[in-house]
Amino acid sequence: MFSFKFGLKNITRQKRRNVITIMVIAFAFFGYLFMDSVMGGMEEMSFSNIKNYDTGNIQVAYPEYWEDREKLPLENLIYLNQDIVDSIKNMDGILGVSPELRFKANLNNGIDETVVLGLGISPEQYNEVFATQNYIIEGSMFSPGESKAVIGVKLAELMDLKINDYITLLVRTKEDTFNTIDVEITGLLNTPNPMINNGVVFVPLDIAQQALNVDNGFSLLALKTASGDEDKIGKVLMDSFKDKDLELQAYSWRESAESIIALSTAKKGGIGTILSVVLLIGMIGIINNVILSALERTGEIGMMKALGMREWEIVFVFMVEATGIGILGGLAGCLIGFAGVGLMAKYGFGFNVMGIDISEYGIPILDKIYGTWNYPAFSFLFILSVTVALLSSIVPAYWAAHKDPVKAIYHR
Amino acid sequence: MSLLELKGVKKIYQQGKIEVPALRGVDLIVEQGEFSTIFGPSGSGETTLLNMIGCLDTPTEGEIRLNGNKVSDLSRKALAMTRRFNIGFVFQSYNLIPVLTAYENVEFAIRLIDHTSELKIKERVLQILEEVGLKGLENRRPNELSGGESQRVAIARALVKEPKLVLADEPTANLDSKNATDVVKIMVKMNKELGTTFIFSTHDPMVMEYAHRYINFKDGMISADERRG
Repeated sequence: MFSFKFGLKNITRQKRRNVITIMVIAFAFFGYLFMDSVMGGMEEMSFSNIKNYDTGNIQVAYPEYWEDREKLPLENLIYLNQDIVDSIKNMDGILGVSPELRFKANLNNGIDETVVLGLGISPEQYNEVFATQNYIIEGSMFSPGESKAVIGVKLAELMDLKINDYITLLVRTKEDTFNTIDVEITGLLNTPNPMINNGVVFVPLDIAQQALNVDNGFSLLALKTASGDEDKIGKVLMDSFKDKDLELQAYSWRESAESIIALSTAKKGGIGTILSVVLLIGMIGIINNVILSALERTGEIGMMKALGMREWEIVFVFMVEATGIGILGGLAGCLIGFAGVGLMAKYGFGFNVMGIDISEYGIPILDKIYGTWNYPAFSFLFILSVTVALLSSIVPAYWAAHKDPVKAIYHR
Repeated sequence: MSLLELKGVKKIYQQGKIEVPALRGVDLIVEQGEFSTIFGPSGSGETTLLNMIGCLDTPTEGEIRLNGNKVSDLSRKALAMTRRFNIGFVFQSYNLIPVLTAYENVEFAIRLIDHTSELKIKERVLQILEEVGLKGLENRRPNELSGGESQRVAIARALVKEPKLVLADEPTANLDSKNATDVVKIMVKMNKELGTTFIFSTHDPMVMEYAHRYINFKDGMISADERRG
């Protein structure tokens, strides 16, 4: 117990050096917690933006279509009567069902042309699944049967378009012949999902079906469920399709967001690297501290040996001191991290301030990124700091304790 | 049975390829309760001898017995335990621990051997501090004590565990004559009151006056061994 007290008292020595070590550990921890929070926020917002503006929680499609979905084929479309769609809608846990016809189109403004994703939607059903309508910043959503379109502001800027302008969508029909959809822009969107703002043209489903010559076919059904229920409801859906002899499959939003999931996995790797660097910084700080302390206290170590302290007892004194520094560094890191994450969670950070458009890197976030709270990261890091401090002090402490008593006493 | 017996103790240090003999064959017997001084020219080996006696170092050749037990070929751990229970040290530079108070510096030594009640330990530490004349200075840290006071703390630390033997390596070298006399008087008092055996090295003739036995050291050997009083 006395050795423990002695070890703790030693923390008050070499104050400047100990404070520097504590601050280094603290800022390394802060860096980790901050990055973890930003990455977590980015992931959460990306997923939310995908679910709320792009895929819904579940997508229902034929497996053959799903495999080729990136190519936006007009093969393997779904042809269901309204009763089946309604029966899906009436299933427990399903909050909305929206049929979508996805097609490749060239948008022409009379001067320039660009490739866009055409999206035939039924506005009323679409609004049950997606929050897109809330982000129409100018004009309004079209009604079924109207030759009108809604596009993102970024696309409008790019093509120099405004409300009431006419655009032509050059498409290929199911039979691979060219056709056009001439529509008037009725609304401009600015959703938090930049992918929607940059390259999607919404048109009424029936107009798209007619132009593409697909009868009442659509590419997929986007479903809204309570978050987290996707797997459970997906399974129920699959059973129901089986009962009805339908070969349809239900795909969770995760399956449509593979690239973002891959980014998320990469994020975990990145966080792991940051964590390794943080631990290395902590270890170097502690080892440096113990070695310097041992060198400065050579005579004292000699005296401890003269008093009859065994090596492990001297090691214990140094370990208590190092662990104390680790605890203080961990606590300070958690405190600074708490403040940083709190600010990040409340006020967020806009990469556009730095002139960076992160949507260019495939991250579907338009504006600010808000940090997320990862409380286990705080406790994990704190426990890790104590453990690392404890373990990294053993070898230098043993080196100190193993000194020859005569050489130590007389500083030889 | 003698407290301490040295037979043909030799110590040779290796400096590169050169062998430097520090002790060239020392035979010495010290009885319980003796108050002895070892003196001689600098580098004559008296500190090396004290280190051998204090189980801080082991001889290259020869035998050392403490309380009848052979200690010259013990392991590091066994030597540490021998020092812990049997030997107290006082060094020229006090070697107090700066973050601990005078009380705690003394307490440190007794905590290693005594696991009895807090109260008993406290009584013992306060008593020994009072005996060395440090009553009222218990809570001072070494940087708040004079050289003489610091050395008294070191003596209290050496004596608190009531060792059979206290070794002091030039305990007064850093002190002025008054403090040096005071420190030696305390050692004499403890020797008389507790019967503790003291062996100390010194170059100070005034301090030597207090010793009962004079061991003159020269070139790593005892050149004279004289008792007085």
